[in-house]
Amino acid sequence: MSHHYVVTAQKPTAVVACLTGNFTSPTDLNLIIARNNQVEIDLVTPEGLRPLKEININGKITVMRHFRPPDSNKDLLFILTRRFNVMILEARMVGDNITVVTKANGNVSDSVGILSEGGFIAAIDPKARVIGMCLYQGLFTIIPLDKDASELKATSLRMDELIVYDVEFLHGCLNPTVIVIHKDNDGRHVKCHEINLRDKEFMKLAWKQDNVETEATMLIPVPSPIGGVIVIGRESIVYHDGSNYHAVAPLTFRQSTINCYARVDSKGLRYLLGNMDGQLYMLFLGINETGKVPTVKDIKVEQLGEISIPECITYLDNGFLYIGSRHGDSQLVRLSSEPIDGSYVIPVENFTNLAPILDIAVVDLDRQGQGQIITCSGSFKDGSLRIIRIGIGIQEHACIDLPGIKGMWSLKVGIDDSVYENTLVLAFVGHTRILTLSGEEVEETEIPGFASDLQSFLCANVEYDQLIQVTAESVRLVKSSTKALVGEWKPEGDRSIGVVSCNSTQIVAASAREIFYIAIEDGSLVEKCRKTLAYEVACLDVTPLDEKQNKSELVAVGLWTDISAVILSLPDLETIYTEKLSGEIIPRSILMTTFEDIHYLLCALGDGSMYYFILDRTTGFLTDKKKVTLGTQPTTLRTFRSFATTNVFACSDRPTVIYSSNHKLVFSNVNLKEVNHMCSLNAQAYPDSLALATKNSVILGTIDEIQKLHIRTVPLGEGPRRIAYQEASQTFAVSTLRIDVHGRGGAKPLRNSASTQAQNITCSSNMLPKPGGGNSTAANAEVGQEIDVHNLLIIDQNTFEVLHAHQFVPPETISALMSAKLGDDPNTYYVVATSLVFPDEPEPKVGRIIIFHYHENKLTQVAETKVDGTCYALVEFNGKVLAGIGSFVRLYEWTNEKELRMECNIQNMIAALFLKAKGDFILVGDLMRSITLLQHKQMEGIFVEIARDCEPKWMRAVEILDDDTFLGCETHDNLFVCQKDSAATTDEERQLLPELARFHLGDTINVFRHGSLVMQNVGERTTPINGCVLYGTCNGAIGIVTQIPQDFYDFLHGLEERLKKIIKSVGKIDHTYYRNYQINTKVEPSEGFIDGDLIESFLDLSRDKMHEAVTGLELTLNGERKSADVEDVIKIVEDLTRMH
Amino acid sequence: MSVIDFIKGLPIYDSNNFTLLSNDHGIRTSQKRASVYLPTEDAPDQAQLIVLDKRCVLLRYLTQQWDKKTLQRKREHGNDGSSNNTNNSTNGNNSKKRPRLEANELN
Repeated sequence: MSHHYVVTAQKPTAVVACLTGNFTSPTDLNLIIARNNQVEIDLVTPEGLRPLKEININGKITVMRHFRPPDSNKDLLFILTRRFNVMILEARMVGDNITVVTKANGNVSDSVGILSEGGFIAAIDPKARVIGMCLYQGLFTIIPLDKDASELKATSLRMDELIVYDVEFLHGCLNPTVIVIHKDNDGRHVKCHEINLRDKEFMKLAWKQDNVETEATMLIPVPSPIGGVIVIGRESIVYHDGSNYHAVAPLTFRQSTINCYARVDSKGLRYLLGNMDGQLYMLFLGINETGKVPTVKDIKVEQLGEISIPECITYLDNGFLYIGSRHGDSQLVRLSSEPIDGSYVIPVENFTNLAPILDIAVVDLDRQGQGQIITCSGSFKDGSLRIIRIGIGIQEHACIDLPGIKGMWSLKVGIDDSVYENTLVLAFVGHTRILTLSGEEVEETEIPGFASDLQSFLCANVEYDQLIQVTAESVRLVKSSTKALVGEWKPEGDRSIGVVSCNSTQIVAASAREIFYIAIEDGSLVEKCRKTLAYEVACLDVTPLDEKQNKSELVAVGLWTDISAVILSLPDLETIYTEKLSGEIIPRSILMTTFEDIHYLLCALGDGSMYYFILDRTTGFLTDKKKVTLGTQPTTLRTFRSFATTNVFACSDRPTVIYSSNHKLVFSNVNLKEVNHMCSLNAQAYPDSLALATKNSVILGTIDEIQKLHIRTVPLGEGPRRIAYQEASQTFAVSTLRIDVHGRGGAKPLRNSASTQAQNITCSSNMLPKPGGGNSTAANAEVGQEIDVHNLLIIDQNTFEVLHAHQFVPPETISALMSAKLGDDPNTYYVVATSLVFPDEPEPKVGRIIIFHYHENKLTQVAETKVDGTCYALVEFNGKVLAGIGSFVRLYEWTNEKELRMECNIQNMIAALFLKAKGDFILVGDLMRSITLLQHKQMEGIFVEIARDCEPKWMRAVEILDDDTFLGCETHDNLFVCQKDSAATTDEERQLLPELARFHLGDTINVFRHGSLVMQNVGERTTPINGCVLYGTCNGAIGIVTQIPQDFYDFLHGLEERLKKIIKSVGKIDHTYYRNYQINTKVEPSEGFIDGDLIESFLDLSRDKMHEAVTGLELTLNGERKSADVEDVIKIVEDLTRMH
Repeated sequence: MSVIDFIKGLPIYDSNNFTLLSNDHGIRTSQKRASVYLPTEDAPDQAQLIVLDKRCVLLRYLTQQWDKKTLQRKREHGNDGSSNNTNNSTNGNNSKKRPRLEANELN
């Protein structure tokens, strides 16, 4: 058997639909956003959009619309899913909590219908009498709405129109009247049908207009009293109400299609239109008000500006719009009457969207065992690379520009009885500055007792309402209330203090090899003891291990020369334990701390690595030595408290927060580039905050409670399609698609983008002739025609600058890309596969495999070979190039003459779209014939088909989990796992890849990659997971698939079954039904996969529901079977969440 | 009519909305998501069930056409006058049959 755990690390981000209405109360203005299987409810507030709740729907949302029942002052939500589930939802506020009530639900699938070509369309009668849907060809499904009936009887009406582009209900009609755009052999037409709800049939044709606008795609019904409909065509717009007819062909409509609209005012005079180019227009209906009823006089259209390529638009309030996008970031924009650079659209906020993720690279750039994902995200002008890494976020609240900070401490000055701090001391070379925090204001001030002309080494509040300041010269004791110096301690002679540490009663200072212990008393500093150590002191610490204590019995010291950590006892400064740290890097920061009642000694070195030990408080002995790499620069360790737990902040070029969970240390990256110093800060205006000193500034901010994904965007301005990482050149290669438009002087790019602004630009000179002769399309293109230009970009791994752009001559397109080391050649190459795409050919017949070398800022073509078909996939295979070309899988070897020579070949596919290799084995994902396992016999130089899955499946991505287990995603959003049965008795059985696990994911996977988001080698796990495969989807989700053992699967499956009962489904779509594996009419129950998203929701349940969920659940702990309690399960699920 | 006239007087629901949204620091980028709604109790009121009439559309259409035709014929015969009583009575039978036909699940 095969057992897997699948969980979403990044939820889908592509917006499918959005709308504005009053949902949570009659007065609340809400924005509702639909993404794949989630609905987000936002509230419009003076501060902007406030997310209220995210609702999971057990289905893929295809249509979301809203309506207001006649007797209601609130709106209801109608949702239609891909599997024909329909629901009507109502949001209610109970106190501060939202509840979402399913008012109606059901399924409107018909087992015999042919799916409509234009996708699902649904519309709602403006008087909320009926919902109409186009789901199947020649049928119009209606749901008459009646709030008193216990059952709503949906019916399919026969409709003459077969190919339908849009359907809407007209306003101001006695009977519900639909208008459709449909197509037949003569062109596109609009037609109005009146529905008889009693007899459930179309009554009569209200009016129609044959041969309406060319390529008409969209209908906008105009509200009463104007009525009628606006039809949006490719180049023109027409208003029609049966008798009245006005058309306009705006010049500003470029070569793009309007794909969404939003009504601005309730009268229906103004509309916003968005097109696939990301242009926003406003349409204005001019009205003639002389007659009894207002009639349309004319239509005007004006271009407002640029937005993300929209999927949906909604008008919010006060000139603000929400733009939902599938291709780029969704946006909050403001319409301004004062144009900025000619644009009336002012972007205010971007909402990160990764969709569509076409390819990902998982790389460990910092070599810390933690992967980061680089995605090819977005399309066309909104294309970008996204750098995704997991870590803890700092929410920045204030930033002060102050370069050159050498140390930083927060103090309470003159307000010792307050819980808040009011002062920030900053050390610089040669001086110290003191800042007072009064409210949000920061002012510079002075403390007379402090030496402000010297660099401070340490400042702190200590016992008896006193402050101390340590400089190289002395330790100064200052009364907090008077700010005057009351005591001072200096080392004798011309010695100066090198390092120092203190707590509220004790100071330990060192000058070269000498170490001093000074007690803090009321008004004086008393030297209690001094010792000379074997070597110079590099760092020391005297933090009390017990938080309630104000003194420590131990001093931790890091020494130069012999590179050791030494524990001294207090007050006599006797060495009680010495631990040699291996290596030659000196310790730079040492810290004693307690996490979850375990005492630790942390010792950070000058190279960014850190040792940590368990510290015995009574004996001072160090045990359990472990080492971890945190950064590459000298690291400083500081403790801070956050959410009532102790944490350690490691300041370096890779700032890290160290905390403990389940008695294990967790090292979490912080989303800041570099932090040199930090101190905790609990000021009135900045409660529970941190002050962080970077190279040029001080940041005041709060820290996230948990680690999460952080996303950085590198905009490209053109669509990235494939990415490959090359360690040798420290670069990424990215293939992109740019759209150029043919003008009089040839094709020109529409806008600046990564490939037009690269440091170096070259163009492919080698033009392959079209097979069978004839001209290439590029040469005889019409003016205004769009041309796809493919580019190979070489991008720096650190700065993400485009170092080189290599442009291919249309119609040559890049189909695959990889970095590989070939044969005995010491160089690493980029291997690029291209094909010539002609619109008149069903499939490209000719292409190339090109070997590029990027070296010393130059991209050189080393070799190329012609191939007869499209090379869909490339894999490095034991120093050779493995390619899936059309129906073939081919292996090319790299000769000493630097040429590609075909070694062997197998043709047994429809189209070999995906290839993965492990050892001698090759997994092939076919266009429609599922997966096949091949073996390369090196001695014979042939491919042998080992086994295949005989069920037809249209594949979207494949991956090898282990030698016998293979993962696939097919086009109906299902995951499946096939396993090779090497122990089978007959040859026939061995040639099969039986499907052992299946699961409906509900999102289309474009790419699988092995890799992990979290550090692999740090901290042991309690959950037994094996391997980690990341995936990226069409809707911008990133997830993880991992293998788990049978007993753990059984335990999680038990928990899953209980959670299914406890967590109610919004829209009443059963979870089991949702996760069923379904291909067309074939339905099989999900098995072998655990739904990690459901399991992780356990942590969000109330305590008594958790208790209910674990009752009767058994688990094996330390080899012993016992009934699970809530704490055990929390621990296990928390550990699982730490995968992402 | 210029674009400025277009944008003038955009609808206002609550004039306070978005007023405290500062745009000084350029475009904000947001990744924040709302907390997930996890209902554990069923709503007290019963949801309406949406059921699709699964009867064959073609048969329903034919029945409707048949009814229309027979009704029309009846009307035609009615216009003819009372020349044929038997015909009238059969038509009358047909129209009575209609509810029976619809009531039966033909699919």
